[in-house]
Amino acid sequence: MGWSAVLGLARSASVVAGQAGAAARRNNRSLVGGVQFGLQPFCYHDLAMTPENRSTLVHRLVQNGMGLVELHATWVEPRFTGPGITAEAAREKLRAWRLGNPVDHYRLVKKEFDEAGIDIFTCYVNVNETYTDAEIDAVFAGAKVLGARGCVGSQGLDVSRRMARFPGRHGMFLGVHNHDNLSDPDAINNEASFVKALGFSPDVRATLDTRHFTAANGDCIEFLEKHHDRVSSVHLGDRRKNNGRSTPFGEGDAPLIEVLRLIRDNRWPIVVLLEFEHGTLRPAVEEVQLMFDYCKRALS
Amino acid sequence: MSRLLFISYGLTVLVSVSVAGQSPSTTTPARAGYDVDFIGPPLADPVMQHAKETYVLFGCAYCHGVTLTPRGEATDLMRSALVGSDVNGDRIVALLRAGIPQTAKLSPMPQFSDLSDRQLHDIATYIHYARQEGRYKQLVDATPGTGDAAAGRAYFDQQCASCHADGPSGVARNYDAATLRDRLLRPPALSAVPSFDVGALHAEKMAGARERHNHLLENYTPAQVANLIACLRPR
Repeated sequence: MGWSAVLGLARSASVVAGQAGAAARRNNRSLVGGVQFGLQPFCYHDLAMTPENRSTLVHRLVQNGMGLVELHATWVEPRFTGPGITAEAAREKLRAWRLGNPVDHYRLVKKEFDEAGIDIFTCYVNVNETYTDAEIDAVFAGAKVLGARGCVGSQGLDVSRRMARFPGRHGMFLGVHNHDNLSDPDAINNEASFVKALGFSPDVRATLDTRHFTAANGDCIEFLEKHHDRVSSVHLGDRRKNNGRSTPFGEGDAPLIEVLRLIRDNRWPIVVLLEFEHGTLRPAVEEVQLMFDYCKRALS
Repeated sequence: MSRLLFISYGLTVLVSVSVAGQSPSTTTPARAGYDVDFIGPPLADPVMQHAKETYVLFGCAYCHGVTLTPRGEATDLMRSALVGSDVNGDRIVALLRAGIPQTAKLSPMPQFSDLSDRQLHDIATYIHYARQEGRYKQLVDATPGTGDAAAGRAYFDQQCASCHADGPSGVARNYDAATLRDRLLRPPALSAVPSFDVGALHAEKMAGARERHNHLLENYTPAQVANLIACLRPR
């Protein structure tokens, strides 16, 4: 599979979108040695993922030399929580907002990132059983306006099965993201559960989280060798095996350098999204820079 | 963090406190690579600051928050019964070593078996400190209720009388309710940074009293505090 496919658009729109994606990629500031990097901004621990903090997020991404991001929906969507508003009422208002087709809002958000030279690769939305079909469809439609190639989430197998029929309507993909809960039969946590999810539709892609896959005693290299053509991105971070803790890059058991070189040397169009949950005393921007520099050295 | 770095940082804290002559909680460390906005200003007690940095450095703050405000699905340590019943890490350290692999949550609590006993105990120490800070604030901010003196007496007999054998009259003072509450939550004699003077280091009675009062602070409800105040105020 080439970049055109991973950039999402497996069907009629794939060639055009793929060319556009490849062109954007050539000029992207976080393309390093043929590997497209980006950030999962969960990393900025101190920065609440709210629309109010979006301009700070954009500034930090540029500071860190990032030209691509996986954007959590909460950076984009208005919040309806507040004093005197129940969680259920806020949830209903959010649903109504999404179903209202707020195209102009999404365009304005996209413009903020475009002007900073940042490509919104995917939208992260944790869809659950409270989502109606219409709402799931609206989530993909909104993400499409943002320029995203897919929507990613930590939903389990049941919800993923339900979601799998929607991305194709928009020429997008659904990214399924693994965690390391081996006690939940619905969880996506190892190769077998990934394979199940990928079987729901050709539009499903794996978002391989190297930290959690390692903590669940999975082999990231073996997984990429076997399934690279269905992997849209990796969340690159380090952890120790056996449900061990997150660590700074290079101190855990995740084969980070090998993953990066595997992607580079095979020219796989797999986006590498840096993400860390390990502790640090440093400001998050400094820590992200250390991680990014580690990756650059790995590819030098 | 290396021992050298820790010592130099401790000295920085001590110097900044003595020079500024003010509460260390208002000083800002002149230390590169220290995220004061996320971690907060250094604590007056370098030993506690080291415990806090251990808590942050090994990733606890990422999920449970520096001030124990949890993020996402993490357990709220301010309300955790396990933390509330822990004594000197006897429950927290065991949990850190094993993690919680069986869970309904998306991500299980990781295990930290590669950390030293000292590091695990430092994490437990900071969790208790942060919980005491948070509970103190919550109890001070709570709307003062009209306490039930009889209920306060019953609580006193159950929780306090083993040390305060003279009963409520032995500790009652003619303070206003707010002052009495503050002294109840944080007895001034126990609030100083612990000394490493050998005599003080082995003052078991003082250490036991501090531990006992800190444990109570972590578990008081606003109603219990109101009841105790009603019981202790002279009528």
